[in-house]
Order: sequence, then C-alpha cells, then structure tokens
Amino acid sequence: MLKPANVPGYFKAVSQVVSNQLNTGKQVAIIPKKKVVFVPWSSSSPAALRKALPNGNVTISTGPAVSSQIRWAHTDITVPDFTAYRKDSTKNPRVKSSETEEGRKNYTYLMAGALSVGAAYGAKAVVTQFVSSMSASADVLALAKIEIKLADIPEGKSVTFKWRGKPLFIRHRSAAEIQAEQSVAVSSLRDPQHDNDRVQNPSFLVVIGVCTHLGCVPIANSGDFGGYYCPCHGSHYDASGRIRKGPAPLNLEVPPYSFPEEGLLIVG
Amino acid sequence: MGFSSTVYNAIFKRTSTMALAVIVSAFAFERTFDLVTDSIFEKVNEGKLWKHIKDKYETEE
Repeated sequence: MLKPANVPGYFKAVSQVVSNQLNTGKQVAIIPKKKVVFVPWSSSSPAALRKALPNGNVTISTGPAVSSQIRWAHTDITVPDFTAYRKDSTKNPRVKSSETEEGRKNYTYLMAGALSVGAAYGAKAVVTQFVSSMSASADVLALAKIEIKLADIPEGKSVTFKWRGKPLFIRHRSAAEIQAEQSVAVSSLRDPQHDNDRVQNPSFLVVIGVCTHLGCVPIANSGDFGGYYCPCHGSHYDASGRIRKGPAPLNLEVPPYSFPEEGLLIVG
Repeated sequence: MGFSSTVYNAIFKRTSTMALAVIVSAFAFERTFDLVTDSIFEKVNEGKLWKHIKDKYETEE
C-alpha cells in the first residue's frame, strides 16, 4: 500500500521508470531498499563462524536497480583455528605424523580395551548370576542327601525312607534272594537289566519306591516275585526292583548312592 | 617413543593379542575390583554382617 506519508522514504531508493504508451506520469516501480544487518563475528570458533556465514537459501536478484553483494568464504574468511581441539602431538607442523602415530593409537585402543574389560566383567557377572540361579538352593541341597546306617536294617526286610520328597526303598537281601535275582535270564525281562547292574553291594538294594506305571508306591515283600507289588494296577517287581508282571513298563529307578564306609549308605 | 611403539606393536596392533590382553586384564580387574568393593561394603556395614556378630550366637559343640 502506497500512502502519501511513506512516499518520501521510498523515493530514496533507486527506482526505474518504465515508459509505456499510457504514461500518466504516476506509475512508478518501487523497490524497497534491503536492510543489511551486520553480525559481528570472529573466526575463533566454529560456532562464531557458523553465525557469520549466510544460512538458508542465498539468492541474488540482479538488475540495474539492485545493489547487493554476496561474500563467499573463499574470498575473505580465514581458516578457523582448531588448536583447542587438536591433540598435542599433532600441533607441531614440523613433526611427521607417522612419528607420533603409535602414541595416539595407543591412547585410543587403551580406551577401547578398558571398555572391553569393563564389559567382560559385567557380562561375566550377569552370566554367573543367571547360571547360579538355576542351581539348587541351600535348603534343597540340605535335603538332597540322606545318610543311612545299614546296621539298622535287618536281613530280608525292606525299609522305606523319604528322600527328595519320594519314598526310598532299601532292602537288605538274603543270600537266597541274591542268588535268585542273579540267575534270572536277562532276555526274559521286559526292561532287561542284570541284577549286578542295579546294585553296588548285592546285599542291599536301593530303589526309589515309585511305580513306573502311574507313580503309586509299591508294597514291599509282596507280589508274585517276592519283591514289590503295586496295589494300584497290579505291577509285580522282583527283589531287584525289576518289573516282572503287570502294566508298568520299566524297572524301579535306582538313585545315585555310595558306601563311603562300612555300614554307612549315602543316597544322593 | 620406544615404549609406546613397543606396546602398540605387541598388543594393540593385532586383534588377537588385543583380545588376549582384554581377557587377561579382565581376570585381574575382577579380582581387584571385587576385593575393593567387598571391603568397602564391609567397612560401611561394620557390625551388621553375620561374620561380625557370629561369635555372639555360636556355641561350642
């Protein structure tokens, strides 16, 4: 909007009058004078340099009436000084960089190595934590072993203990029973296992008292084979804990055990 | 310059030697770091841990 009050200001700018056929003497093209803002800057840092440089789209409109000037970096801006950011060993321009290269690389690799050491330590701690959380806790381990004095078990008798929440049968076998079990033909068994593979000391049979059929607890000294008999579905086990008759598919399980000294049995 | 170039050529130049150095120093670091942090923890909790009050509760068997 051209108001009379503004006109003198605009007339200070250079303008060009274009003549046309319908010259009324009043058509004037007015180009407003561009304001030039001077930003003081120094080349001492990249931030100062960034303020000084033109940003955005740099355009130039040429014409007889436009007086403008673009300053380009290659004409009058000095290379900024990065000394503050440079390593001391590279500051001297007279020293070959290959002479200080190893020292600089040592620093970098030492930092990477220290980080790796920390990472390895942390990873080891995490893995140890997870793995140890999988192992049995102290209260479970306390119940995991049972110590039995074999002198308490008379010959020909089967005694039941509780071991890891399951019944444990320990049978003091007579010589006749041992003889009978050892002479059973292995090929005639459903789960073929010789008696010698099931006992460490032939006098003592150690088995877990859980029927391999559906998990009932067999009754000792009963059944057709003089060993164990499961009342639930009628599985007969012999005096070596082997399945002889009935639905059970496998022999009674033998837990890990040892005889650390005479007359002492440790199961677990 | 001699020392740093020796270190660089012996350890950092090859990935294999660098990895070996990392593993070996991780062992050493673990021992010392655990020892130091444990002793700090025990110093801060002086008199509260079981091993500090054990003698009050243990009876001779």
